[in-house]
Amino acid sequence: MSKSIRRRDFLQSAGIAVVSLPGWAAGCALRSQLIAPHQAPRPQALLSPTVTPVAAPSIYFERFGVDQGLIKRTIDRGLGRGGDFCEVFVQHKVSHWVGLEDGEVNRAYTTIALGAGVRVLKGDATGYAYTEDLSETALGVAAATAAAVADGLALSRCGSLKAVAVPNAYPVAMPWSAVGIDQKLPILLQLEKLARARDSRVIKTSIFLGDDTSRILVTNSEGLLVEDDQPMAELFVGCVAEHKGKTETSGQSAASRDGITFFTPERVQNVAQEAVDFTTMLFDAGAPPVGELPVVLAAGTTGLLLHEAIGHGMEADFNRKGISIYANRIGQRIAREQVTIVDDGTNPRMRGSINIDDEGTPAQRTVLVENGILRSYLHDRVSAQHYKLSSTGSGRRESYKFPVLPRMRNTYMLNGPCKPGEIIASVKKGLYAELFWNGEVNIGAGDFTFYLKHGRLIEDGKLSAVVKDANLIGSGPKVLERIDMVADDLGFFSGTGYCGKDWQRVPVGFGLPTVRAGGISIGGRKT
Amino acid sequence: MTQNLLDKARTVVETALKRDAQAAQATVRRAHRGESAWRDGKLDRLRESTEVGLSITLYVDGRYSLNSTSDLRPEALGPFLDETIAATRALALDPHRKLPDPKRYAGRFTGDLKLYDELGVAAVNAEVRQRVARELEQALRAAPGATELISATTGAGNVVEENTMVCSNGMEASTRGTYFWIYADASVRDQGDRKPIGSWSAVVRKKAKLPSVESIAQEALRRALVARRSKSEKSDKYPCVVEAAVTPRLLGDLLGPLGGQAIQQKRSFLADKLGKKVGSDLLTITDDPLLPEGLSSTTFDGDGMSTMRRPIVERGVLKTFLLDNYYASKLGTEPTTGGASNLVLPKGKRDLAGLCAAMGKGILVTGFLGGNLNWATGTFSLGIRGQWVEGGKPVHAVSEMNLSGNAIELWSRLLELGNDPYLYSSCRCPSLRFDRLQFSGT
Repeated sequence: MSKSIRRRDFLQSAGIAVVSLPGWAAGCALRSQLIAPHQAPRPQALLSPTVTPVAAPSIYFERFGVDQGLIKRTIDRGLGRGGDFCEVFVQHKVSHWVGLEDGEVNRAYTTIALGAGVRVLKGDATGYAYTEDLSETALGVAAATAAAVADGLALSRCGSLKAVAVPNAYPVAMPWSAVGIDQKLPILLQLEKLARARDSRVIKTSIFLGDDTSRILVTNSEGLLVEDDQPMAELFVGCVAEHKGKTETSGQSAASRDGITFFTPERVQNVAQEAVDFTTMLFDAGAPPVGELPVVLAAGTTGLLLHEAIGHGMEADFNRKGISIYANRIGQRIAREQVTIVDDGTNPRMRGSINIDDEGTPAQRTVLVENGILRSYLHDRVSAQHYKLSSTGSGRRESYKFPVLPRMRNTYMLNGPCKPGEIIASVKKGLYAELFWNGEVNIGAGDFTFYLKHGRLIEDGKLSAVVKDANLIGSGPKVLERIDMVADDLGFFSGTGYCGKDWQRVPVGFGLPTVRAGGISIGGRKT
Repeated sequence: MTQNLLDKARTVVETALKRDAQAAQATVRRAHRGESAWRDGKLDRLRESTEVGLSITLYVDGRYSLNSTSDLRPEALGPFLDETIAATRALALDPHRKLPDPKRYAGRFTGDLKLYDELGVAAVNAEVRQRVARELEQALRAAPGATELISATTGAGNVVEENTMVCSNGMEASTRGTYFWIYADASVRDQGDRKPIGSWSAVVRKKAKLPSVESIAQEALRRALVARRSKSEKSDKYPCVVEAAVTPRLLGDLLGPLGGQAIQQKRSFLADKLGKKVGSDLLTITDDPLLPEGLSSTTFDGDGMSTMRRPIVERGVLKTFLLDNYYASKLGTEPTTGGASNLVLPKGKRDLAGLCAAMGKGILVTGFLGGNLNWATGTFSLGIRGQWVEGGKPVHAVSEMNLSGNAIELWSRLLELGNDPYLYSSCRCPSLRFDRLQFSGT
């Protein structure tokens, strides 16, 4: 894996961002595939999180020898060449992954990541170094390396550290560290049994159950000391079905910042059944048409559209550099009155939720577009400083190996006044897009894509034949401008989705009510 | 240094065996990486780090797990192995999980693949990277058309890595390698709010093989400038040429379906194509792990098996699958390799301009965006950018178009290979000219 990632690193092209979901296709050399969502939390997800403070900061990492004295000395070394700001980010992440193939739970993977990243800022410029050795010497070397972004004498020292407790949007009764593999095996076997029972045409299933527990500590030269404990529960069912000599594959996933109680019997059943249904329905699916057609986006996974068409363009690093198609458009109309889009880190247990971002800023709900007017970008510390604003709590990173960037959390559109049926009925000939697998965007030019795994044709205002496997491509700003009907059925994506940017992957969520977009070019095969 | 890693890998394997694993494979990797980025006249970012990672594959009572950690404190290793061995015991028996037959370790290439550049490593440090990044930006600002620039980001970096592997049934190997890279991203003004970005980069094993900063900067800016005023053409079937630098996307899509897991799990449109035509007579793809200075060159694969050159497709006929030890056993056949390394295609006679001249009218694809290939059916649909070509010459930029079809149909329509293999990828493929393919636009 490291090889292919490195290769991608080298071939990086700025301003390209990708969403994808790794399912069974993780072996693919150049990218991974996305598998669709669980139709999860409904509007109650918008309520404010339970206030359960995370454990007292700085105790957790003392077992690794990292105490407040060491942190302060490291920050001072980071400031040693005149940097404006120094941050030490420490992470201990334990991930498990148990897999079923050919009817047996016959593989398990454990990954432990322990390390610390030191970031020094001098104006807009970033110095970054990390170490997996948490000794004073190694941390000192990392700090000295990052310090070199500045080139002078120390101007300040680390103030006294003040521990901050934050509300917890994802309390877990039993931490993953207390859950044995024996509790996971029956869930996998049950998923297999349910999938097989659903349809005899299913010939192969690949199923996995994953869990993460990421403990992060963020401290900085301004005296911040804050921790978060970020759990994740993931489930994926992939199916291969055969019928009359044809083979089809699809799948379904579910993910949440939660413990093992996430895998309720109902959820397990839904995921297994949808994985099978999404696969077998493809036997009756035709090739989508070629060329531009009006597109209606079904509620749910199709929120990928927002992520690609507008979300990345809102990330303030692209705007700070002036390279986003949305640069300098704050306060202007970019969509119709019905359109309000938020990026939210506070939805309880949702995949992209965070109690604090990776700079220690508390979670927020940021309104990007309000009744069609562009209101805010997504800021981390560096871009907020550039724009003389506050961070929106959007500074995220894949791990201690990376400096933060402005990133999305859960991105969704709020409900509008229309009814889903009314929207479908309004289209004479078009495409009803139901399940997207992956997408990508050129930030500057604004062209973006999403890959349709399945959907239906709309003929004379009615849903008709199922179609499968087509890339849709359009101009983000144009598509957003042309959204002219928004329904009242907001659905959320809570599958195993990742967003990739600058070679960092972070978990994200999204949501959308049924909407009518204008014409989008469909890469079908039927002329 | 490498000796220390080898000792570490040996210790981990011995410790696992003492704790009742019957067999084990350990890999230990250390990589030092440094990079600098320059943006709009000043330093934007510098990064430098050393990482060490340990992975251990455990075979316990006929069961299997793979585990990795960056927590290499001596006191952490015991509990890590205890926990992972206990978890492995809870799994189902899997008779196909075993270390490779030791005969697969034999014949490992012992010559010099030229993957490590000692002089290059000695010549590079943070200051040098910063200077090169700055020179790249200056070259961009001096390149033809630079008045259209909105923003420029440039960078330079390098990696020094060491890898060791130890298998408990008698395999030990160590390698070291270097990578050096430079890149430039140029963002330019266009109609309305559009700001196309042109990117160009190079990555090599030997520092001296890096192209000049001027060539990288000029190409990045040229790519941004020619992407301006793009439009979408009418949906139709058009002949096309795919530029060498973006061919890895098309070839990479074949690797998943060629893999043992896809074949055994019946998720591959290539499963019944061994010995059959999957492309035109011009299509020959060789997996060459022993390519000198190759970005993915290696003398042993992920299972520890010795690598060799292997034709994947020869004159359009599929010659092999990529079968690792496990899926080969499940399929009841012999393993080949756990994954492709460098993909090498033969060279043709003409350059990119020559291919476009031969095409006459059609689309020159210079970038892919999103899309996917259905592994089970081979149908694909990919977003593209490029140039509309008439009379063999680019006329205007195209965007918001898709290329779609079936992979076998695509490769059967291959008409010509260029003489310009892209050198900065492990996929050494020249530009490709195809007969009419389905494009969607307006």
